Amino acid sequence: MTLGLMPAAEPRPVVEDAPEGPVLSGVRCRACEHPVAVRVPRCPRCSGETESASFGPDGVLWSTTTFYVSSGEREAPYTLGYVDLDHGPRLLAHVDDGPELEPAVAERVRLTGRTPVGDPLVELVR
Amino acid sequence: MTAHVWGAGSTDFGRQTERLPAELAWEAVTEALLDADVDRIDAAFVGTVFGSFGLGQRALVGAGLAGVPVVTVENACASGSTAMHEAKAAIESGRYEHVLVLGVEHLTSLFKGPIASDATDTEQATGLLFPGIYAMTASRYLYDHHLEPEDLAHVAVKNSAHGALNPRAQRGRALTLEEIMGSRMIASPLTLFQCAGLSDAAAAVVLGPHRRSPRDVAIRASELGAGGPWDHASPHVWGHDLVSRTARSAYDAAGVEPADADVVELHDAFTIGEIVTLEALGLAGDGEAPAAVEAGEHSLGGATPVNPSGGLLSRGHPLGATGVAQVVELTTHLRGEAGARQVEGARVGLLETMGGGAAGVDGNACVVAVFEGG
Repeated sequence: MTLGLMPAAEPRPVVEDAPEGPVLSGVRCRACEHPVAVRVPRCPRCSGETESASFGPDGVLWSTTTFYVSSGEREAPYTLGYVDLDHGPRLLAHVDDGPELEPAVAERVRLTGRTPVGDPLVELVR
Repeated sequence: MTAHVWGAGSTDFGRQTERLPAELAWEAVTEALLDADVDRIDAAFVGTVFGSFGLGQRALVGAGLAGVPVVTVENACASGSTAMHEAKAAIESGRYEHVLVLGVEHLTSLFKGPIASDATDTEQATGLLFPGIYAMTASRYLYDHHLEPEDLAHVAVKNSAHGALNPRAQRGRALTLEEIMGSRMIASPLTLFQCAGLSDAAAAVVLGPHRRSPRDVAIRASELGAGGPWDHASPHVWGHDLVSRTARSAYDAAGVEPADADVVELHDAFTIGEIVTLEALGLAGDGEAPAAVEAGEHSLGGATPVNPSGGLLSRGHPLGATGVAQVVELTTHLRGEAGARQVEGARVGLLETMGGGAAGVDGNACVVAVFEGG
């Protein structure tokens, strides 16, 4: 039988507190400067070596959806967005108060930290 | 040498909680073997996404095929079509002569609600289950093309009308636009009837080299692609570029263009999936697929019927079985044996299956294949 255990490593992008506020701690390609949300050793675009880089907190909603089916510890409804951080990568994040505020594609957002279960979290900038 | 489909079979599609996955496989394999009229199988390629350890071998021993070498393939929703792709290559390289392709999945024993990918996958770990991934595509597509949610729902109207003509379909009833838009919201803007339901089923085909049988269907080309990076620098919604690139390779290999397709089976796990795929395959212009679907261009009787089986939305979407079920459907049409849903005079069939779940990848796998009747 399987034990149902998870690797200790975290599959979600890392959101950290910095002096200027929460930032995404990802990587940037040394060769082509392409930013990546997760800490991969090689650039997905050019195969160059990557180095640590921080992004955010401001960005724009590339797309968004509100989920009406619960998932694990997350109670529906909840809203997710693919956020294109300014000069940074695309980040999958929850949108604070999304079901009430009904965010639209192309709205401005700002990274505010993580949800209680550790998902990256943004708020709408209206 | 061109590989041909010699025989095809499947189970019904739907919730079959009282049947083991291997039982489903036995039924599909037996039907395909009888249809192919073969006396031996040299190897089997089995597509399954969540199929348990040894399912392919259990499936074969109960179908009287013990001892046949098995290769099991996981390529997300394109698992079954990848199995077909590899079986074709095995025949054309001379490695095997008679090859069984089996797709099998038993989702109702694994999931109660929306399907998730893998717990170590970024999207799933963040709460974005499969309907959400397609909903993200839908939201962006509607924004880019200044369209409304119901513009997507016409896909479900069409495919449910087709499914009503398919006695093996999971949703065997024609749905109205009002029913589809009024069904429960799953992930905005996608409502329940715009999402394929949980399905248990198996489908099987027997492939072999050319023989003198008018019922055999030639596989003119099959191409397998994997997605490049998908991120903020991508020009299109998720999966579009993978499908487009794979399709171009398949058209070139077969010496056809999109307009040559008489009948199409494509990956419509969600309504937006069919819309994006129609455009990526070159069957509709950028942003024009919703209007083409609503106008009936892709309905039975239209210029290029798409998903006459009912598609994943209505026939059903038992992940690993889906690609093989698409081959079964196209084979039936190219033989002229599809009954009430027959695409009249169909000679060239086009198959597309795409699977994956973002995580920075523009689709885990895509198979585009071109079939030709005898």
